[in-house]
This record gives sequence, structure tokens and C-alpha cells, in this order.
Amino acid sequence: MPESSDVDLVARAQGGDVNAIGALYDEHHESIFRYVWLRVGDRHLAEDLTGDVFMRMLNALPHYRALGLPFRAWLYRIAHNLLVDHYRRNSRRETVSLDAAEARAGDVDPVAFVERRLRVERVAVALSRLDVHQREVVALRFVAGLSLQETAQAMGRSEAAVKSLQHRGLEALRLALSEEEQVIA
Amino acid sequence: MTNEDLLQERLARLEAGEPLEACLDGFPVELAEALRSAGALRSIRFPSRPAERVAAQRASLVRVAQQQQAPVSRKRLTFPSSAPGKQLMNRLVSLPRPAGVTLAGAIVVALIAAALTLSVRQPAGSNVAQDRQAAPNALPATGSPAFTVYVPAVSSVLSAPDAHSAVIAEARGVVEVQSSDGAWAAIGMRQTLSAGQRVRTGDLSAATLLFYDGSRARLGPASEIAIDALDARLDGARVVRLAQSSGESRHDVKSASAAGSQYAVHTPNGAGVAKGTSFHVLVTSNRIARFNVDEGTIAVTHLNVTVNVMAGQSSTVYVDEPPTQPVFRISGEGRVTQIGDVWTIGGRDFLVNTTVGPDNSTTEIVGDPQIGDWVFVEGRILPDDSYFADRIALLHRADENRFAFTGEVDAIGDETWTISGRAVSVNDETDIEDGIALHDLVRVEGIVQSDGTLLAERIRLVETEDGLPFEFVGVVEIAGDETWTISGVEIAIGDHTEIKGDPQVGDVVKVEGHILADGTWLADEIRLVEEDERRFEFAGTVEQIDPWVVSGVHFDTSDRTEIDDGIQVGDRVRVEGRVLDDGLWLAEEIELLDDDQPRRFEFVGRVIEIDPWIVGGLDIAVNDATQIDVGIEIGATVRVSGVILSNGTLLAESITLVDDSLGCLDIAAVVVSFDGERLVLNTGQVIDLTDEIEVFGDLQKGSVVLVRLCVGEDGAIVVVRIIVIHTPPPPPPPPGDDDDDDRSGKVTVCHIPPGNPGARHTIQVDPTAVSSHLGHGDTLGPCGDGDGDEHDEDKHDKDD
Repeated sequence: MPESSDVDLVARAQGGDVNAIGALYDEHHESIFRYVWLRVGDRHLAEDLTGDVFMRMLNALPHYRALGLPFRAWLYRIAHNLLVDHYRRNSRRETVSLDAAEARAGDVDPVAFVERRLRVERVAVALSRLDVHQREVVALRFVAGLSLQETAQAMGRSEAAVKSLQHRGLEALRLALSEEEQVIA
Repeated sequence: MTNEDLLQERLARLEAGEPLEACLDGFPVELAEALRSAGALRSIRFPSRPAERVAAQRASLVRVAQQQQAPVSRKRLTFPSSAPGKQLMNRLVSLPRPAGVTLAGAIVVALIAAALTLSVRQPAGSNVAQDRQAAPNALPATGSPAFTVYVPAVSSVLSAPDAHSAVIAEARGVVEVQSSDGAWAAIGMRQTLSAGQRVRTGDLSAATLLFYDGSRARLGPASEIAIDALDARLDGARVVRLAQSSGESRHDVKSASAAGSQYAVHTPNGAGVAKGTSFHVLVTSNRIARFNVDEGTIAVTHLNVTVNVMAGQSSTVYVDEPPTQPVFRISGEGRVTQIGDVWTIGGRDFLVNTTVGPDNSTTEIVGDPQIGDWVFVEGRILPDDSYFADRIALLHRADENRFAFTGEVDAIGDETWTISGRAVSVNDETDIEDGIALHDLVRVEGIVQSDGTLLAERIRLVETEDGLPFEFVGVVEIAGDETWTISGVEIAIGDHTEIKGDPQVGDVVKVEGHILADGTWLADEIRLVEEDERRFEFAGTVEQIDPWVVSGVHFDTSDRTEIDDGIQVGDRVRVEGRVLDDGLWLAEEIELLDDDQPRRFEFVGRVIEIDPWIVGGLDIAVNDATQIDVGIEIGATVRVSGVILSNGTLLAESITLVDDSLGCLDIAAVVVSFDGERLVLNTGQVIDLTDEIEVFGDLQKGSVVLVRLCVGEDGAIVVVRIIVIHTPPPPPPPPGDDDDDDRSGKVTVCHIPPGNPGARHTIQVDPTAVSSHLGHGDTLGPCGDGDGDEHDEDKHDKDD
């Protein structure tokens, strides 16, 4: 979603338009969910945390200023902080065991569903072996789809630093995947 | 170029949609695998979330948002006072929702100009202006919203199966369809509609209808629309006739040049026709219809009077009245510096009418903004070049001269409290939590008044109970009657302190207790422990970092210590770790506690003195670590943040300049002349283009532009951006000597005599007269050949 559209929605939301709150959720919940899922490894937990991200967004929105952090970067910063809190509350250990949810009844192709899930699981396991900053960059850039600039803004780092982390993170991810002899490409 | 740069360059191509293999071409082998990894990550397909869970989560979020808005909502619905905006809301919610559409009227929206292919980057304010039309409908008219159907938004590409169908391309919240038998039923994504069916949306809901030719109609919340006729064919005459009985709709109409093509929008008093443009229709509960045009030009006809509305303009149709003359819209955001019959927003004056005046003009004011607050405004430019505000909505409360800090209550008076040595005024409007007593720790928020005194708006107890808890294991060094020293920490012994196991000097004990507001570590229990219990945990205020000191306790950290990001001196943290054999404390985790707890402050105010600093009447201490923006002078507005020291001193960690601009406005206008460097608008404004002005689009005479003006606190107005939203087609040479006309500076317009649109004809007028001609419905450029056809179509539609 273009940042300009976010700006409009955020302005409306801050003005009291609850429709805009719903629209912000519609625009971002899927990518937030993917980002969170790959970090916590549990689908149902990721769904709950995704809801928590937007509740935090709702509470913090009155204080958000568009002139500072772009909204999307701001939202992912909220998600990141929430994950940090989650890890802290839960023995400070990141879990990588993805849920064993079965394909929902009615899925057109259960085999494809499981295949997709396994693929996600492999990546999640590989991501968990990265350095925390590399993992954050890789998740934001290639799972959440943030731009280099947005990623830098979300992490409070320079673009040069993110470029470096991105390079090393992708290298490390490739190694992690190959060590498990799990080719995702 | 470094490897990181090389990789980013290829990643950018990949993100732009270039195939992976193409991106890999010629790429260094050592980087190729990294690029492949990125491509693989991007290609992962995640199983989608169950729609019902998404919908439930969304509904929950919206419900909480509604509850947060509840006080405002109740005020609007009960109307206890004559506050601005409530009367309009009263009318909106008290009138019955029209049950259907009466086609006897004669509002006609007809396309005049062909659809524009110009890609326009709309400024944020402009979009907000259009979208905010929906806000009155954002609140439920009666009772709580009842969500019966939840349909997730889906962004995949859709198309209607045939010309006689429309597909639901977006459905949010409650979306229902009424069949010919009158029954309403939920409808979801990808379902199709045909002529004879009606669609309605609930509060907080929206739906988009996609037609076979690519045209779209988007319904906002609490809107209802019927499909009267549908044949959206790609070849031949495209016919789409809709009837909008309530709410708002936005229409993006594909161009259709075949004879007989029409895209009609009926309102309760009539119908409208278009061939290809982008416009917005708002029908209020009292049947007022407003037409805003984003692209192209439309004609609005009612009671046999036609006005032409072009991009950037608006026309309103009241019941039993002809359409108002089109006026250019103005929108933007800015600081309120005056309130009354005339509001000053962003340095510009806006006429405001909070009651329904003779001309039905009413200003809706949302959020009760006050002087100093930041608001959104949208309105119109009147014929006398004054501005009328249709809507003013609060965006941000002014944070200037606000303060907040945490401190101990020293004294409580009727008009003044003393908190941590500072006098704080209270009045009848101060929200004071029940049960606050002397020596309680409280958080106080309020306003720094012009005389420098503090006026509290809210005083809340800080939940410390017996103080912050601590526990640790250490060696008893001193065991006195009132104090012990355990591993170097002085521990107070109270009457309640339980001492178990008769520990002696040299014994290892576990001590638990609370750190009081004065910094005393008061023990609740001291007991002998086993060797494997050598752990500590406590919370306190960071006094020093690396080496760490928290609430007077020194401890070590290691590479394995987990330390929250962003911890600063003054923050409250919880420290957990173990006591080593040599008695050293090694932290395993340092956790930042809730932001509400630290004794920090932050406020915005004017600089009264520098070195020593006085900001907003408050003395501010600075030290070598204080970050101070360059260029701060007396009188500047700054944001000060820092910590409150134990003696009450406000120690600034940063003093930063605050943007003093009053806001920006987007004003629509017509370019009367342009010589490549200087722009003259129909408003009379002359703009010399400089490098500082961003220009989007092809500027030329006759262009309709959105001009963004930003106003500094000193009143200086700066043009920062010009966006061309409409460029007229090049006029054919007028009959006769057109070169002479150009040289004489005349402007070609299509003159439409009021009340007699059939007598339209091309004339040449002086640039200074363009505004008045456009004001009564003339259009720029010569009258095209198609005018007569369009008029015929209007007539045909009315016959329907």
C-alpha cells in the first residue's frame, strides 16, 4: 500500500474515523501476520499477536506523527517491540516449532497447503539461526515487504547498516538452509 | 560499488518485478545465492488466515476504537449543547433514511470532458478532503453497530463475468444485496449482481462494484445503491444506471465514446449520466447531494439548470433548488489561531457557519478543536475569493506548553498542590483520582500557563504500593538493629521484617523487600539460603550505564546479559541475575519497565532564557550530555525531554526545535497564463517558479492545479508544490484570426447561458474575466462537437 494512502487513513483515524482504523487493519494485517508467524513459529500465537499489534497501534495512534516515522515502519516497530515483550515473558526463548494445524476442511488442495506450510516452517527454522539483527532485516525486507528505507526507519538504523545486515543475513540464511539440506527455491 | 550495494541494486530490480533469472544475469557468483535466497523468500506462499478469524479480529479492533470514541459519540447523539457540529449531526441522525429513490427530480451529472489519461499524484490533503466526506456516516445512527456478516478484503484481480453483471470486488463489514423479491441477504467477495438488485452497506462497512468495462463504483458506509440498468459492454453503447438513495459513492468511470453510452447515477431527486471520469457523490439524510469532481468535467443539472463542474470543483444540490454554482475546493491542515465566525487555520481565514443559514451552508466541526490545535479543513472558495469551511476536524491537540511529571505529593490545597516541591494549580476541571494522600507518588499532566505556572488537568496515583520490589542473595556484612549491609547494599529493617534462620555476619542470605520512594531498600524478609539460591532480582532507576548502577547498586554485565534497547539514565528497569562466588553481582537480564513509571518529563514550550535555561516558565538544567539543537534562540518553540532528579531538578537530555509552521493548504485554481517561469492563477495569485517548488504535471494555460501553500508562524506564505489535476485538450483554432487572439492574451471559453445550455457558444474573454465566467458554468476551451450529444443524453435520461 502506498505510504500516501496510509497517510490519509492515519489522518482520518486520528480524527476519530473508525472506518479508517478498520482500513488500516485490512491493509496491513496479512503482512504483519506473516512477519510475526515467521518469528514465533506458531500460527495461532501469531494470529493473537497480530491482533495485539493492532491494539497497540490503536492506543499509540494519537501520538503518532506522520512527519516522523512512516506509518508502515512505525507499525513494524510496534510489532518488533511486541515480539520482544513476548520473548521476555516467555522465558526469553524464541520458538521455531510451527503449529501442526492441519489443512482446514474445505481447502481446495490439502497437499499444497501442507507443502506451503512446510516451506514456511523450513524458512522459520533457518531464520531462527540468524543473528537477531540479520533476522530482523530479512524478515522486514523479504517477508513483510518493506523497502530498504522503511526497514532502516523501522529498526532505527542507517540504510548502509541495513544493506550490510541484509547481505550477511541472506548469506547466513542460505547457509542455514543448505545445512539442513532443505532447498526452498 | 560494494557487494552490499550490488546486492541491493539487484534486489531493487527484483522488487520492481524483474524475473529472478534476469536479475541474476551477470551477477557475481558469490552474491547470486544471496539473491536467490531473497527471491525464494519473496515467493513463499503463506497459507491464508481463516476469514472468520480475521473478521472477528478486525471487528474487535473497530469495537475498541468505537469505545474510545464513545464519549464524543454520545455527545453527538444526545446534543446537550449547541456546540459546533452537533446540530448538523442532529439533522443527519434524526431524519429517516430514504427508503428508495424518486426519479422525478432532475439532478443530472453528465460527462463533458473525455476521461483523462494524466496520472496525477494527489497530495495527502486532497485525498483526505474527499474521504472525509464519509466521516458523518462513520458513527452509527442509532444504537450499536450490529455486525452480522464479515467478509475479508481481497485484493486479487477480479473482473465481471459479462457485460450484464457486476462483481463485488471489495466487501468490508456488513454488505447485503436485495433481490427482486425484496429480501436482503449477505453478499460477499466475487459474487455477482445484475440489473434490478440493490446493494447496501452497514455502518463501518464498504463495498466496491466492478463492472465489465472496468468502471468501478465504491460505496462507503451506510450507503445504498440500486442497479437500474446494466450493459457495460466494451464495444458499442455502454449503459450503467445506478440509483443512490443514501450515503456516499465514488465512481471511476472508464471512457466510452460510443454514441448512447452513459454511466448514470441517480440521486433521490434525479439522475446523473457520465461517460468517463472520476467523481464523488454524497447524499445526506436530508437529501442534500454534493458532487466533487476529481478528474474530467461533469455537468450537474437540476430543475432544468445545468452547471459544469470540473476537476477540483464542487457543486451542491439542495432539495427543490438548482445546483449551486461550481466552486473550487480548498483543503489542508493547519494550526488554529482564531475561532469565531471566522476561523484562522494555517494562517488563512475561513468563514464558518455553525447554524443552517439562508443558503443552507453549514460548517461541520468535529472534535471541538481549540486555538493552538491542529485541524483538517475542507471548504470552498467563494466568488469573492473568501474561503468557506464545510468541515473542520481535529487532528491533534496542541502539545505546546504541556507538561507531565511524576512526583511525591507534598501538600494538597483547594487551588494549589505541591508535588515534589513544585506548585501545581488545580481547578474544577482538574481530573483528580480519588484517594490521593500526602506522600503518595502521583503523575500529573497539564498546561504550562502563560505566566509560567503549572495548571494540572489530571493527577493520577502511580501504582507503587509499597515501592518497587527487590530480592537478592548476598553475604551479610553488617547486621544492626535498624539496618543491615548485605553484599554492600544497605538494607533497612522494619517492624514487619521477618528474619528467618538466625543469619549471622558471613552467612549467605536471601533478602526480599521494596525500594521506597526515598530510595530506601526496606526488607520484608531475610533468610538463610542454600548455595544454589544465589540469585537477585530488583527494580530501580538507572543512575549509570556501563558500568551499571541501578538505585545505588553496582553490578556487572557480560556478553550474555540481555539488555533491552534504548535504556537511558533515569529509566526504571528490572535487573535479574546471580551472585558470584566472589560476591560480585552479574546481571543476566536488564529489562526496561513500563514507560509510565520513570520519573521523566517532556513538554513543548517557548524558550524564555538560555544558559541558564528557562522554557515555558520552567527552570531546566543541562549538562554535557544534553543534546541541544543548533540555532535555538530566545522565543523559539522547543521540545524538552529529560529526567526529574531526586531533588526535583528537571535535567534535560535533549532540547530540540519544534516546527513552527502553521500548516499547509491545497487550493484548486485555474492557470490563466504561464510563460515558463511565472504562473498567474484565476485567483489573481502570481507564482514565480523556483527550485523549491515541486511541479507535477504539464503546466499550461487553462490547467487546473492544486497549489499547496504552507504558512510559517511569521505569516510568510510559501508555495511548495503545484499539481496539475486537469489539462484541457488543445483548443482548435477559433474561427477566423486565432493567432491574433493568442497575441492579445484572450482566453477561449465555452459560454453557457444560465438556464439555456442549448445556446452555448465559444467566446474569447480577457484573462481577468475567466474566473467569473467559470463561476457561472462556462468551461475552458471551445464548445466541442459533442456538447449537443451530451445534452441530448441528459434529456434522454430525464425522460427515463
